[in-house]
Amino acid sequence: MRNVVKGWSPRSAATTLAIVLAVGGIAAFVVGYANRRMPPPRPSAAAAGRITPTTAPALRSTSTARPTASTRPATPSAATRFGRLPISISIPSIGVQSPIVGLGLNADGTVEVPSSFHEAGWYRYGVEPGQNGPSVYLGHVDSTSGPGVFYRLGALRPGDHVVIQRADGRLVTFVITGVRQYSKTAFPTLDVYADTAVPTIRLVTCGGAFDSATHHYLSNIVAFGQLA
Amino acid sequence: MRFKKLAVAFAASGGAAALALFALNPATAQAAGASTSYEANLQAINGSNASGTLMLTLNGDQATITEHATGLAATFSGKPYPHVQHIHIGAKGTCPTTSADTNGDGVISTTEGGPSYGAIGATLSTSGPTTPASGTVLNIAPSGATIDYNRTFTLDAATVASIQGNTGVIVVHGLDPATLSTKAQAEKSDLVPSLPLAATSPALCGALVAAQTTAVPAGGAATGAGGTSHTERNTLEVLGLAMVAGSVLLIGGRKLIPARTRS
Repeated sequence: MRNVVKGWSPRSAATTLAIVLAVGGIAAFVVGYANRRMPPPRPSAAAAGRITPTTAPALRSTSTARPTASTRPATPSAATRFGRLPISISIPSIGVQSPIVGLGLNADGTVEVPSSFHEAGWYRYGVEPGQNGPSVYLGHVDSTSGPGVFYRLGALRPGDHVVIQRADGRLVTFVITGVRQYSKTAFPTLDVYADTAVPTIRLVTCGGAFDSATHHYLSNIVAFGQLA
Repeated sequence: MRFKKLAVAFAASGGAAALALFALNPATAQAAGASTSYEANLQAINGSNASGTLMLTLNGDQATITEHATGLAATFSGKPYPHVQHIHIGAKGTCPTTSADTNGDGVISTTEGGPSYGAIGATLSTSGPTTPASGTVLNIAPSGATIDYNRTFTLDAATVASIQGNTGVIVVHGLDPATLSTKAQAEKSDLVPSLPLAATSPALCGALVAAQTTAVPAGGAATGAGGTSHTERNTLEVLGLAMVAGSVLLIGGRKLIPARTRS
């Protein structure tokens, strides 16, 4: 006590430092442990819902005539396409609000993912929001140390809304129809990327078990929706 | 007025930012430039009641095909029904209508459909050769009522040209003989005379057209780094353990420090 009052003592400083280290260390450990032991929500069986839109699929016409330019959408001008580009995504029910980055393909033909763990991306060789067809968005479920932008995607339920803001200012609202988890070895390529007769949305993140050897999740969670 | 100027400036900078956001980086631009996806909406023909979807992504002469079809004939002589399937090329690029049934037996045979969809350009076999010559090899054909087909293989120049020229057609063959007319049930296959007509006649047909998704990616997405599901300790835990260890060392080492220092 005398030392503390009178002035600096290496011994009491060491005690203080030891206490700070102990308390801080325990806190860091607990937070770190909690972070890696909170696996992202897995879609419930009840949320599986539907993955095909309800509107009569006009694409399945009974005509055997080959689709021609008149039945296929005209190629939009660059300016029109620019206006349709998505710039932000909002999913109020799971607290997502993020700007959107453009995503292409990796050299191996797989889809690019956002470089930031906290931003969602749009697959730009897919369809713009509001156009007929699948508009596909990807986001990380987590970083190496905590939740990512689509951490709670597995908690989405049919009926939840997703709002995409486009470069032209228009807000395009989609309603979720089904949320499912798939092994990456059985990724539902056709369900996610095949033509749809109406504007649809697909939100993709990771899920399931994490393989610590490859540093990849073994499954993908996909939320399917259509124009609200 | 000032607001208007501000708004214009804001819009311009926002536009520039958006442009930057979506500017193609060379690597991905190249990847997409090289890949184009086509889709065939497979519809029942000859009353098969089957349905399906096939996507074909062309990258040079490499075709990656993903197909799902259901409702096909399930068994043939007590075994899973083999459904030979092909990319037909070089004709009108359409699926035949009932008017193609020139012999009036109620079945559009593969030959009768030829004027619509053309000859075989490639065989969608499950393994081995994909040439037109392997078009009726039953043991490398997908089989059963449901087909889930995934394969990447090389196409010849004529098939690539036909797909790009919008005359590629997917045809899946193999009908349930019981659904055919009595006359047709007695007929032999126009392609393989040792087989009945039902075995090689078209069950599904769909023209390959440009897909809405201009380049379908391969497989799933690597959208997680494991921070919330690791079985290994993370950096925060390691740091915490190190700090606690440091604390223990300090307390141990404290005895070495004199109780008081006089100045």
